[in-house]
Amino acid sequence: MFAPLLTRRGLGLLALALALPALPRGAAAQMDTGRAIAFIRAAGDELVAAINQPGLSAAARQERVAAVLRRTVDIEGVGRFVLGRFWRVAAPTEQQEYLRLFEASLIRNLAGRFGEYQGVRFSLGRTQSRTEDDALVSTVVQRPGQTAFNLDWRVGDVGGHPRIVDLIAEGTSLRLTQRSEYASVVQRGSGQVSALLVAMRAQTGR
Amino acid sequence: MALAGTALLTGCATPPAATDREALAEFRANNDPLEPFNRQMFAVHQVVDRAVLRPATVAYQVLPLPVRNSVRNVLNNLRTPVVLVNDMLQGQPVRGGDTLGRFVINSTLGVGGLFDVAESRFGVPVHYEDFGQTLATFGVGEGPFLFFPLLGPSNSRDLAGYGFDIAAQPLTWVGQGLAVSVLGGVRAGATILDTRDYYFNTIDEVNRTSLDPYATLRSGYRQARANAIANRDATGTRSLP
Repeated sequence: MFAPLLTRRGLGLLALALALPALPRGAAAQMDTGRAIAFIRAAGDELVAAINQPGLSAAARQERVAAVLRRTVDIEGVGRFVLGRFWRVAAPTEQQEYLRLFEASLIRNLAGRFGEYQGVRFSLGRTQSRTEDDALVSTVVQRPGQTAFNLDWRVGDVGGHPRIVDLIAEGTSLRLTQRSEYASVVQRGSGQVSALLVAMRAQTGR
Repeated sequence: MALAGTALLTGCATPPAATDREALAEFRANNDPLEPFNRQMFAVHQVVDRAVLRPATVAYQVLPLPVRNSVRNVLNNLRTPVVLVNDMLQGQPVRGGDTLGRFVINSTLGVGGLFDVAESRFGVPVHYEDFGQTLATFGVGEGPFLFFPLLGPSNSRDLAGYGFDIAAQPLTWVGQGLAVSVLGGVRAGATILDTRDYYFNTIDEVNRTSLDPYATLRSGYRQARANAIANRDATGTRSLP
């Protein structure tokens, strides 16, 4: 499968392909845009309902948002993507702990962010597109008194179910940014995944 | 130039061994050969931000949102010539027309740019262009990543573009004397406050959640710039001139 890559674009792409163990390869049934849009519409409605429900404390609101995210985001796939090439050098126990910490940190960060979006409205944006494995659903996030911004949802097929595999805010991909962040932490920790785990433990308090 | 010289003296990052292909590919992809210098500059920036910029922005946020929006509108209106020049250099006459039309409408109906009537009544939203983006459309590569205190993330192409944009700004060349200097300073100060205000939540969130805020900002800046260069953005990344 890598031979055409080698001849066409050289080693760089091969390295890249090898570095992405988490791309939804095995599970890659194709994701058509109609299905992805319906999925994001439903997930968006659930999020809006959770965020805008009156009379909830901030903590209760975040917990409801977190529940929606756990159902709709491919947490393990995103986690493996984010660890990138270091996934393979991590020991099995490190992989397990990493995924556990990653879920805690991702859910907390996203729920914290969405939880602050009171009065939020998602409207479907102009462009919807498809790649080989997944579909990109563009939305515009509007909040009262705030500048609207573009949020794209990358939707893949995970075990026959549509799942969110990336969020792209104004062109900045969550999983790419976070991969860069984690790679930097590992490198500055002498290339040890354990250095990342220490930092993640400290951050999540686990 | 002096800063670039210092960068070379204070050290480049050591590339990984050629045998570690993945590490080398990542090193190249990060495009940050001056990382040790950049991280020092980032550390300085964080100190200045915590001590001055962020508190000043919090104080600025005491002003009601409509007032702050008007400040932003005026600054956008003053930036029009630079955006227009770059629209045209990029061969985008339609976007240039938007920019020019917005200037005429907002300067008149919008009372000297205080109100963004062009967007609210005519449906033509603001967009930004700068010479860094123009150079990119000419095929100029970004050059090494750079970070400067106060200015934030950049690269050698965008830094050169920044110089060009200052030169392309008519206000740079208008008049002299104390009043002009003071107004210029007010505009520069307002631009810094407005930009910091615009990114307020984003920056807070990066500092709160990232295990390596420098790496996060570097990656985020480069992605946002690529997006702005392709005009896929709603408004474009913001630059100071």
